[in-house]
Amino acid sequence: MNFYDFHIHSSFSEGESTVEEIAQRAKFLGFKGICFVQYFKDRSQISHLKEKISKISKETNLEIFIGLEAKNPEELNRLIDMRRDYDILLVQGSDIDLNRKAVQAKEVDILTHPEFNRKDHGFNHVMARLSSSNKVAIEINFREILLSSKNRRSMIMHNISENVKLCKKFRVPIIICSGAVSYWQLKDPKILLSMGCILGLDLNEAKKALSETPEKIIKMIKERHDSKWIRPGVKVIE
Amino acid sequence: MKQKKLKILLPTMREKYRYVIFQIISEEGEEFSYSDLESAIWNTMLDFLGEYGVSKTSFFLLKDCWDQKNQIGILRCNHKSVQVVAASLGLIDRLGDNRITFKILKISGTIKSIKGKFMR
Repeated sequence: MNFYDFHIHSSFSEGESTVEEIAQRAKFLGFKGICFVQYFKDRSQISHLKEKISKISKETNLEIFIGLEAKNPEELNRLIDMRRDYDILLVQGSDIDLNRKAVQAKEVDILTHPEFNRKDHGFNHVMARLSSSNKVAIEINFREILLSSKNRRSMIMHNISENVKLCKKFRVPIIICSGAVSYWQLKDPKILLSMGCILGLDLNEAKKALSETPEKIIKMIKERHDSKWIRPGVKVIE
Repeated sequence: MKQKKLKILLPTMREKYRYVIFQIISEEGEEFSYSDLESAIWNTMLDFLGEYGVSKTSFFLLKDCWDQKNQIGILRCNHKSVQVVAASLGLIDRLGDNRITFKILKISGTIKSIKGKFMR
């Protein structure tokens, strides 16, 4: 089974480790592919990262993708406009309006930690229905659990498991990511699977979240890079 | 006075164990002793699962299977709590002052099969 981790920050964004260090560690832990996520500054930043990644991808034999994470609605609109320039569009969850906007957009691939920095779980049945129809995956972020402790950790885990319950009911795709900002925070795929199981998924669902959901996103990336693709649901047929 | 030994339970009545073989990757190749590792795992598991939760896992770290040179060890738990124990291992990111990562090499029902493959 091929495992993927689609939420890693390298030194290009807020991370501490270089792209090479992360790629080597991911390969060692048994991942088939990873995605370097960064916050958008300008187009030159993307092309610079693309050059570096293609080199490392050949050296390590790892599938490496570029993801951009939107932090507010304006940024999200801007990233949707230039959707073809990068691979994965993530939206940083926490603000309820942004969460709602993210699940409404077909261009968005992943809504990261909707419950981040919130007392409630930041995700409801309306959003679940929308994200199911637009195929926006909801992320279980391991770093959020790793870096918290005691009552905060138990609250986060409760909120995530509530979201998982909703996702299961409305058949929303779930994705488990490490959310690592350093290569030391990258976790073994079996550990990520286990965390998924603790949070309410059964073993097969957890495997899907680490393997099948990312593979579907990769399929979409390939479609998007095709010259016949115009926008979600629209492509040129000869 | 010598204690009388218990009669061995029937195989179907015995607890079903799983053995998890893992490797520790540390900063600058630091080597950890068995006692360092044992205290780190126990502290994290007690924090994460609580005393009651740990009692349900039948957790046990095998002392004679700790390979200090390669930093490979084996732990035992019951078949229902493999996921809980593996997730707890993921929450250990430091051992003393060193940053560490756990790599789970294999999960098996018998100790013989993993010992032969990963420990020589």
